[in-house]
Amino acid sequence: MSAESGTATAPGQRSSGGFDRSRADRGGPATTWRAFATSARLGWQMEANWTDPLLFFIYSVAKPLASALILVIMVQIVSGGGTGAAAARAFVVIGSALWAFVLAGVQGIAWSVLDDRERYRMLKYLYVSPSDFLVVLVGRGVARVAVGGMGAAITLVVGVLFLGVSFDPGRVDWGMAVVVMIGGLAAVVALGILMAAVCLQTRQESWSYPEAVAGALFLVVGAVFPLSVLPLPVQGVSLLLPLTWWMAGFRQAVFPATISSVGGDGSLFQALAGSATPDATTIVLALLATTVLVTLVTAVLFRFSERRAKDRGLIDRTTGS
Amino acid sequence: MTGPNLYVHRRTSGPRAAAAWDRRQVLMNNLRTVLGRAFPRLIGLTREPSWLLFEVGLPFLTTSAFVLVYRALQAPSEYIGFVVVGGAMTAFWLNVIWMMAAQLYWEKDQGNLELYFTAPMDMMAVLFGMAIGGMLASCLRAAVVLVIGSVVYGVHFSVDQWLPLLAVFFLTLVALYGLGMMLASLFVLWGREAFHMTQLLQEPMYFVSGLNFPVGQLGFLGALAVALLPLAVGLDAMRQLAFAGGPIVFTTPPPGVEVLILVVMSVVFLGLARFCLRTMERLARHEGRLTARWR
Repeated sequence: MSAESGTATAPGQRSSGGFDRSRADRGGPATTWRAFATSARLGWQMEANWTDPLLFFIYSVAKPLASALILVIMVQIVSGGGTGAAAARAFVVIGSALWAFVLAGVQGIAWSVLDDRERYRMLKYLYVSPSDFLVVLVGRGVARVAVGGMGAAITLVVGVLFLGVSFDPGRVDWGMAVVVMIGGLAAVVALGILMAAVCLQTRQESWSYPEAVAGALFLVVGAVFPLSVLPLPVQGVSLLLPLTWWMAGFRQAVFPATISSVGGDGSLFQALAGSATPDATTIVLALLATTVLVTLVTAVLFRFSERRAKDRGLIDRTTGS
Repeated sequence: MTGPNLYVHRRTSGPRAAAAWDRRQVLMNNLRTVLGRAFPRLIGLTREPSWLLFEVGLPFLTTSAFVLVYRALQAPSEYIGFVVVGGAMTAFWLNVIWMMAAQLYWEKDQGNLELYFTAPMDMMAVLFGMAIGGMLASCLRAAVVLVIGSVVYGVHFSVDQWLPLLAVFFLTLVALYGLGMMLASLFVLWGREAFHMTQLLQEPMYFVSGLNFPVGQLGFLGALAVALLPLAVGLDAMRQLAFAGGPIVFTTPPPGVEVLILVVMSVVFLGLARFCLRTMERLARHEGRLTARWR
């Protein structure tokens, strides 16, 4: 056998049956990058190749745009056309736009596991491929987040052009905007992988879990209303979530004229920090700290879920859900 | 060995004659189909109780988010009532698009669709069974959103006419499920676009139907929605009847007219569903899409 593979088997060493073990090594960064790029491209193809680009674009932007319009009409009906209405309108448009990333990331990554396991029944083949499954999942997630990004961008453009969202490129803190976007998107992907880890373990209703989590997060991260509306204990939970700081940071960096989602009269932040609204440094530090925390928790839970799934044969289970 | 007359109540000369069923046989067969298709959905409710959390808890969260937006804007309490009623009705709409319209698409992916078409039953009966089976869960979901939403957020309904309100509710369901049956036939022909279409039928539909605000505020678009979409016209009529005499001025037709619109919609959608199902079944057979999976 060793002669067939061209390598000698040392005394006491088990023969690999002609299989070159080095091929199973996951290699270094180049291999990881290749796996990531391939899975991102695969994810994009799976998302986009079912129709022509224009129709795909329309489908991708319709949902976040409609969500924003619902909120804009609600603001318009109640507040009329005053200055307060403009600020509230900008607040909900930005929140709805950013939420497109969260929906795409959290739902998309978790659903990609379910799609591959339950529907296409390819998860077991993906899993035994030499690529690290986590890298594959992150690649798929990036493709989904990119689709969400299209919806977010169009919603913001429509908001600025037609819905009276005030945008002055000269007042944008570009450095902060880049940092909060990177931190926020990392948190979104981490939450998506966390949900994927949960969906690996669960049976029926798995499709609903990501939506349930996204629905719960929507309520507590200050996406479409300031946190000061919530009871104080819930505000405490909100301040521990990276998405809260991402939303607040993006608003402050790109649309500084909008209302703060974290602070305000009667908010827990004001009671704790003594100031009405958080400054840029506080937001960035809080975002980075909470993102690191969520990412670490995700990494640990994902590896645990992966081991348990292997032990119990959950990788190729189909539940008919 | 069983004889040739096992499934018929009369002796026949051959398979063709056996296949020529009388009206009673067709009716009984379709009733059994309705029960048969409703059964897994009803029994499924008892087998996997986790659905309660996700089917009931999830819409309450979404409804709460919109209520809190109105609270942040210090809107009149009627608007919070509008959101709660809208949140309750989404249960039915989601049931229609995910568990009826898209259901045949999922069945196709799982390889069941060709079995449906080869079985001697009417597809309308299958879809009706789906509707009955799904409606129980949707009713519970809607009731929970309505009751808990009203209690938690202090919504006060002022209903003068209960009978018209119930009539509007049931007519809305008939029109909605008729639309769902029609969409189901279209979904048979689709591949992955079916999933994207269900997504498109959520938030954009909520917007044009005025799920969280009076649809009349949308002007011409609102009028168009009232004329074409059962969710829009049903919701508007229910709000007019449930918040009668309040400060909110509805700019849409009165409930009596909207009831007529719902009656017309029910007839048209059910008729179109029947026509579309037969046409699409023929096309799907002709183009070989009944067994085309994972497209």
